[in-house]
Amino acid sequence: MKLLTNIASVATVLSRWTIMVALLSFAADIAWAQQNRVLVPSGSFHSVMPEVEGEAVKVNTFYLDVTAVTNEKFEKFLDQNKNWQPNEVPAVFTNKGYLKHWKEEGQRPDYEDVGRERPVTNVSWFAANAYCQWAGGRLPTLNEWEYSAQLMDFDSSTEINEFTTKLVSWYSSVDTKNIGEVGSTGIKTRVGVKDQFGLIMEWVEDFKPPVADELSLDCGTVGRMQQLGNAYSYAASIRYITRMSYNPRSSTSMIGFRCAYDDIDSKFKLEEEEL
Amino acid sequence: MNISKITLSFLIGLLFTGLANFAYAQTEEYKLDGMTFGMPEAEVFTEDYDGPPVVGEYLTMLPNLKPLDYEGNKHHEVRIDIVAQEIEVADGVKYKAWTFGGTVPGPVLHVKEGDKITFVMKNRSDEEVTITEPTKEGSPFMQQVAENNFMKAQPGTMPMPHSMDFHAGTVAKDDKWRSISPGESIKFDWVANYPGSYIYHCGTPSVLMHTAMGQHGVVVVSPKDGYGTDYEVDKEFVVVQSEYYLKKGAGDLYQYDFEAAQSVNPSHVVFNGHQTILHDQPLEANAGDRVRLHVSNNGPSGTSSFHVIGAIFDRVWLEGHPFNEMRGMQTVLLGASSSATIDFIVPEEGKYILIDHEFADAEKGATGTLKAGPRK
Repeated sequence: MKLLTNIASVATVLSRWTIMVALLSFAADIAWAQQNRVLVPSGSFHSVMPEVEGEAVKVNTFYLDVTAVTNEKFEKFLDQNKNWQPNEVPAVFTNKGYLKHWKEEGQRPDYEDVGRERPVTNVSWFAANAYCQWAGGRLPTLNEWEYSAQLMDFDSSTEINEFTTKLVSWYSSVDTKNIGEVGSTGIKTRVGVKDQFGLIMEWVEDFKPPVADELSLDCGTVGRMQQLGNAYSYAASIRYITRMSYNPRSSTSMIGFRCAYDDIDSKFKLEEEEL
Repeated sequence: MNISKITLSFLIGLLFTGLANFAYAQTEEYKLDGMTFGMPEAEVFTEDYDGPPVVGEYLTMLPNLKPLDYEGNKHHEVRIDIVAQEIEVADGVKYKAWTFGGTVPGPVLHVKEGDKITFVMKNRSDEEVTITEPTKEGSPFMQQVAENNFMKAQPGTMPMPHSMDFHAGTVAKDDKWRSISPGESIKFDWVANYPGSYIYHCGTPSVLMHTAMGQHGVVVVSPKDGYGTDYEVDKEFVVVQSEYYLKKGAGDLYQYDFEAAQSVNPSHVVFNGHQTILHDQPLEANAGDRVRLHVSNNGPSGTSSFHVIGAIFDRVWLEGHPFNEMRGMQTVLLGASSSATIDFIVPEEGKYILIDHEFADAEKGATGTLKAGPRK
């Protein structure tokens, strides 16, 4: 009886310990969340999409990851979601490029080669979506992403033009074999979102909006997207058009993603449900 | 709640995937004026293919033109894959080109009026593809690049969606010329209904950027009844004019200069993709020869006033159509994407300079040499 009690008491201690650890890791997760996502306040911006001519697009407050999802974070997701591992994932959700740069046995990332803190690429839209759902968020909408990207401070139009020119050059010369770590571009919005330019291209939720069919990616599309004469518009048009040309199974060495959240506690809530 | 959100997103995604299947109606082949129209719907698919990026019997590297050695019409099976390639376009000027088949311009395809072409293209812009290793499944083009790698081509990656627009084809662009993602392939048929020389280029916006980055080439469609002077022609070449808009990047490589491209202020204007190749490797003939040039101005934006110093064009077929015959021309004006088939008689031993007589372009590189030996 005593023994049993002892066992019971050990079990209780163990179980309490487990809960403590769980709570601690839970707190760590919340800290992680708060550290890695920032509030993007509501506002409006001029989209280069021609569907609502001249009208600013309103965007509600949301939270956005400071940086793109890294190889290490994506590996953690795969550990807990084996159905998204390269040899498990159904072909309908990816093409053959899916995580093709993770060459180590069992298709794990060889961090010597791909880097822990480099953005994960070669992930399909489906996979990006699944990750963000798992992380308690979602992919940012196209408007959220572009609105956030415009929250940049420049001192002069010359500075804007120089920035845009560099950006367009980047689209023609990105070296996908040597992508930098997240946060390494030095490009940051006024609320602290990093690397929306110059590192990778990123999936958004509605990357192929309904108007894509109407535009049909004609030669005139670029012209229509430059009607605002905005310094961003040429580079933006390349982003919109390139995104529209992909399909949700596309996995290339240039596309990664970051997640958006409707409220800061979404990660907390998700884990609470699981507990 | 979460499950239903996930499912909804995935369904929307699956709808995107399937959208292409509903967007285009199947068409049926029909004849008009002896020409064939109405090709079947293009097929977009993924394949494990990692073979030679250029496959087909009648594909050659500039300035060569593989002569047609068949009677009547032929059904060609042609592959030109999209590959990124680091190439040199002038002394010390290297950039990561977006290419058809690995060179700028891409391979020359030679067919005959009325031929059908089944074309396959894989977007391999996210793969490192070596173009200097010919295999027997490849084309003469691959052999020629291996033997004469003047662009110093090296494999690279630069994933982007791309498409193919053959000016020689008469089809609906939103089907056959549609953009495909890296890793995808497209297959479609077209018929060379009209004789002449026609450019091909990528049609994915920004078309200016894609073409300037190197995605263009030429199809020569020989007229079924030939040109009037065919029996007198001693030498036949293809010359392609195009512009680059490049500026020095952060490292050794040059990059696309979009401001220069938008204001049509090229850094280099070239024949056959390289600033000095047609001087380093001149076209060769002999005094008294009748030389035929298929000259195409692939742009993307400039015009060409094509002239040969010391010669007068005996016959000019605008766009290469045998009905468009002109005689005794000093200069042929070619707008962007225009071409001409030109015959001239090489008068005597010596050098003849091929030139864009818009001299600002000539001084950016649009010149070449025809070297003539003694009369035989």
